[in-house]
Amino acid sequence: MKYMSSAGDYKVDRPGRLVGRAGRIAPDLKWPFVGTVAITFVATIVRLLGPLVIKGGIDQGITEGDRQVIVTAAAIFVGLLVVQYFAAAISQWSVAVIGERYLVRLRSVVFSRLLRLDMGFYSRSKSGVLVSRMTSDIESLQEFASEGAAMALTNLLTVIGVAVALGLVDWQMALAVFVVVGVLLGVSVIFQRQARRAYDQVRERIGRVLATLQEGITGVRVVQAFTQEDAQASTFGRVNERYFDANMDAARAISWYFPVVALLRVVALAAVLGIGATRVLDGSLTIGTLVAFLLYLDWFFQPIINLSNVYNLLQSALSAMAKLFELMDEPVVVEDRPGAHDLTEPVAGTVVLDGVSFSYEPDTPVLFDVSVAVDAGERVAIVGETGSGKSTIAKLVMRFYDPTVGTISIDGTDLRDLTERSRSDTLALIPQDGFLFSGTLRENIAYADVSAPDEAVWNVMRAMGIDDWVRSLPEGLDTEVRERGGRFSAGERQLVALARAFLSDPAIIVLDEATSNLDPETEIQVEGALRVLLSGRTSVVIAHRLRSAERADRVVMVDAGRVIAEGTHDELVERSAKYQELVEVWRRGTK
Amino acid sequence: MSERQSRLGDLNVGIALLWRVLVRYRRIAAVSIGGALIWMSMVVWVPYLVGRVIDAVVSGSGMSNVWPLLGLIIVAGAIQAIGISLRRYYGFKVSYRAEADLRNEIFTHIQRMAFSFHDVTSTGELMARASSDLSQLRLILAMAPITLANLVMFFVVTVVLVIIDPVLGLTAALMVPALLLTSGRFASRVVGFSFDLQQRLSELSHVVEETVSGIEVVKSYGQQAQQQKRLDDKAETIYDAAMGMAKQRAIYRPLFEIIPALGTVAVLLIGGIRVVDGAMTFGEFVSFTQYLATMVLPLMITGWFFANLPRSAAAASRIDALLATAPEISEPRRPEHLKPGQGEVRFNSVSFAYPDGASVLKDVNLVIPGGTSVGLVGATGSGKSTIAHLIPRFYDVVQGSITIDGVDVRELRLDELRSEVAVVFQESYLFSASIEENIRVGDPMASDDRVRSAARLAKAHEFICEFADGYATVVGERGSTLSGGQRQRVSLARGVVRDPRVLILDDATSSVDAIVEAEIQEALKQVMAGRTTVIIAHRTSTLALVDNVVFIEDGRVVAFGSHDELLETVPRYSEVLAADMGAIA
Repeated sequence: MKYMSSAGDYKVDRPGRLVGRAGRIAPDLKWPFVGTVAITFVATIVRLLGPLVIKGGIDQGITEGDRQVIVTAAAIFVGLLVVQYFAAAISQWSVAVIGERYLVRLRSVVFSRLLRLDMGFYSRSKSGVLVSRMTSDIESLQEFASEGAAMALTNLLTVIGVAVALGLVDWQMALAVFVVVGVLLGVSVIFQRQARRAYDQVRERIGRVLATLQEGITGVRVVQAFTQEDAQASTFGRVNERYFDANMDAARAISWYFPVVALLRVVALAAVLGIGATRVLDGSLTIGTLVAFLLYLDWFFQPIINLSNVYNLLQSALSAMAKLFELMDEPVVVEDRPGAHDLTEPVAGTVVLDGVSFSYEPDTPVLFDVSVAVDAGERVAIVGETGSGKSTIAKLVMRFYDPTVGTISIDGTDLRDLTERSRSDTLALIPQDGFLFSGTLRENIAYADVSAPDEAVWNVMRAMGIDDWVRSLPEGLDTEVRERGGRFSAGERQLVALARAFLSDPAIIVLDEATSNLDPETEIQVEGALRVLLSGRTSVVIAHRLRSAERADRVVMVDAGRVIAEGTHDELVERSAKYQELVEVWRRGTK
Repeated sequence: MSERQSRLGDLNVGIALLWRVLVRYRRIAAVSIGGALIWMSMVVWVPYLVGRVIDAVVSGSGMSNVWPLLGLIIVAGAIQAIGISLRRYYGFKVSYRAEADLRNEIFTHIQRMAFSFHDVTSTGELMARASSDLSQLRLILAMAPITLANLVMFFVVTVVLVIIDPVLGLTAALMVPALLLTSGRFASRVVGFSFDLQQRLSELSHVVEETVSGIEVVKSYGQQAQQQKRLDDKAETIYDAAMGMAKQRAIYRPLFEIIPALGTVAVLLIGGIRVVDGAMTFGEFVSFTQYLATMVLPLMITGWFFANLPRSAAAASRIDALLATAPEISEPRRPEHLKPGQGEVRFNSVSFAYPDGASVLKDVNLVIPGGTSVGLVGATGSGKSTIAHLIPRFYDVVQGSITIDGVDVRELRLDELRSEVAVVFQESYLFSASIEENIRVGDPMASDDRVRSAARLAKAHEFICEFADGYATVVGERGSTLSGGQRQRVSLARGVVRDPRVLILDDATSSVDAIVEAEIQEALKQVMAGRTTVIIAHRTSTLALVDNVVFIEDGRVVAFGSHDELLETVPRYSEVLAADMGAIA
């Protein structure tokens, strides 16, 4: 949250500004919205005419004994109902179109912002929070769009319409009803406050229940291995009971509110009947008016209850909106400078770090004055202990961050003067774990170039030595890798990631070597693929193994954010005591 | 046909479960139903009383006749309110109590199901049983009392209407089936779409999750546009599903106003003419309109109830099926106790196959002398992990037996067996609790000193102390605040603190980098001293630590001996290890 506070302007207590900004996301929906309000207005007016028709039927038909008037009134009523049906249906439908269209737009806008934000932002923010902006927050807007908006509009118009109608028909009875409704409103406010608190708690606690549940399921093997079944069950029992308690708090609120509403409705009915009866008896009111009034009365209470429910949806929609705007106000730090240009082809692939210092957070520098020059086609291994800053170098070369001091350049061009397109064409990162997107194998391999022909994909796979493996899969290239490659082993995922890099054919490869062990056979395959991939390209390898250091043209040893030695493996073994230590540890691990 | 039959079967099983639940909480349920009936019996009087008021007015008999009637209306309203309160509160109580109790049952049950069950059952599936399926069941339970009262009310009102005026009564009563059917059909259509919508929402959140966790790859290849398109496509499918639902709403929602209004038209037309004919009083005419208005909401709710009943019954039957599955690993009837010993592990002609049929181990005979260490080596799929997992009885052998110090593992109580056989898994799972609590999972009674010395042995102490909160640091989201290597070290400490007779390390240091692993290996020597230790590892440095190596191929023990012996005498052994020897340039 600390990092999300840069735009605290949009608090829920300023709904006007929020709604205004929300509207600017989709200005083209303004006129459809106006049209929808109009048709909803028509539907409401037509509906409100119904009781007046009945009043006419009673006063001119039944009271006068004129059957013809009764038939006519019934016919008019049916005609009104037909109009009402279509107007209401169109209103419902068009509110939904507007709301859902808006959400499509909003999702797209927020996501595109998310994609533009730099890696600094990603490393600061919890991924769960980011995902929930795009999911639970927008979903609460969705809920409002699909359920709330139509309900808010129709019920609001109905309440206003009925209030006007009651006042027009008879102001004395209307006054009695308004008094009761005033009480209802007050009661509803109290209830909503109470219910909101209760439901906030319910939501929070169901979250705990689900988290504990999930933990109990995914960790079940450890639970059983350490015979923690009873302990887990009692923890879960407690969390679950607290959820029950929260639900019952909400139930208590509901259990007094709805009875009170029902009672108020009857009180209003009795009041109308009392006043109405007196007035009919003294001749100042027709019986038809009284009946019409009773009909209106039924349409008054439910919409008010509905509106108070919608109010909750609206509240959570607004607070979701506020959170989304905070996200959208995050500054984009790493961006193409004005006047950024492409590298001139052919790209040679030299990488120069010149006096680079860097800190993720102010005052805690990670790199100090690092200068490294990598020639075109050279393979440089960066070695050092965990936390020495070697991975940071890789990230800076990829321009996931900009250096605090100093420059990094490719073929003599400062990374910051390079267009993103040119940069991503020139550089490819191979992260530690072979990250796969859901989709087919083909989509994963041809990630950098969706339009790559099959032949090119097969060539790549042949070069990477995975063509036989892919052929052995029942669906071959069309195999769905499932979420994060859950179906494939770590080695297979790694191989696919290598193939992806090979197809994109970058001049420079930044390889963050995996620390974890693959099983020996796969390891051989990965080694072979890497050899093919790296040959003829500039490569910066964040090395975790002796082999990688040995095979590099040059080794750069980083310690506590500084380059402390540089040279070939053999040179460093002679010159650097620290390097010797490292090599010794590596050796022990592989003998 | 068979699908239909199974659906009917589901319905029966599900309704049986719902019924059992209602019976289990019969007292609370009874109060709720009682409240619902009180509400119903009062509600049906109000339209009648309104009619009487109107008749009094029309006949011009004066307000003295009207006031008592108004008093009765308010009394009925007050009693009705009490009924609603009882019905709601106790209805909620039954449903939430049942939900909570069943969820506990499900959780406990899941905890007891053996590995073989969890191997083939996805987390999502189990989550669905204990969350969405349960809520589905809860909704129906909460609605059961009012539905019962509603059904009685429809009957009573229909009878009253027919008594007042048979022709108009029967006509107006048509509203009952009309609204029930409309509401039922609407609910069942919307349910389908909302299922679709949920599905698509979760697909979209996959895209987001994937993009966020793979953001380095996305940016590295400059494929923001591609991810954007994926998201936009998903957003568009959500639009389609939402609009599918909106269309149903547009068609059906207005009907809930139109149908009662048509009832009112019928009353106006038929009732009006009968009033003119003198066959009906004007008050009765007004009663009719009031009865129609009273029934609208209960009709909608009841239609919704019956539309949802099949889904809830299906959910209930899924829950029932889960609870009815017996754990495959069961406690012995007459348990033995472990004999004193050093932890000798013996495999006697053990064969094993996973439930899907593939045979994994074939006639494995193996003796691990007490207090010694062995390394299990073999290619992926050779069966080495299976051997390790059979010892603490995560699975039962298909043939043969496994003994610890001469006692068959199946003769021991599970908690006794597993307190003496500790496993450190490759996938180091940590609970979202403090690091200390995570280590204490190994031995809840362990002293602070023992926790710390275990952490030292596992080379975790140093990094733990670097955290601001030290051992009290809470490990978030499945241990995600720690790196893979750190997580493995915490779970190693958890195994060490258990101080078992037999310690199994299942590739337990694979994510630790070489430098740290070297340190751990030093420490491991202490842990292994005098303790039976089974290690699955690739790194030759680890294998150099163990007394013996078991070399496994295709589910058979191919060779047994020291690492050096096997290197010399078994060519395949060197081949399998070759990649790790750093031989490839």
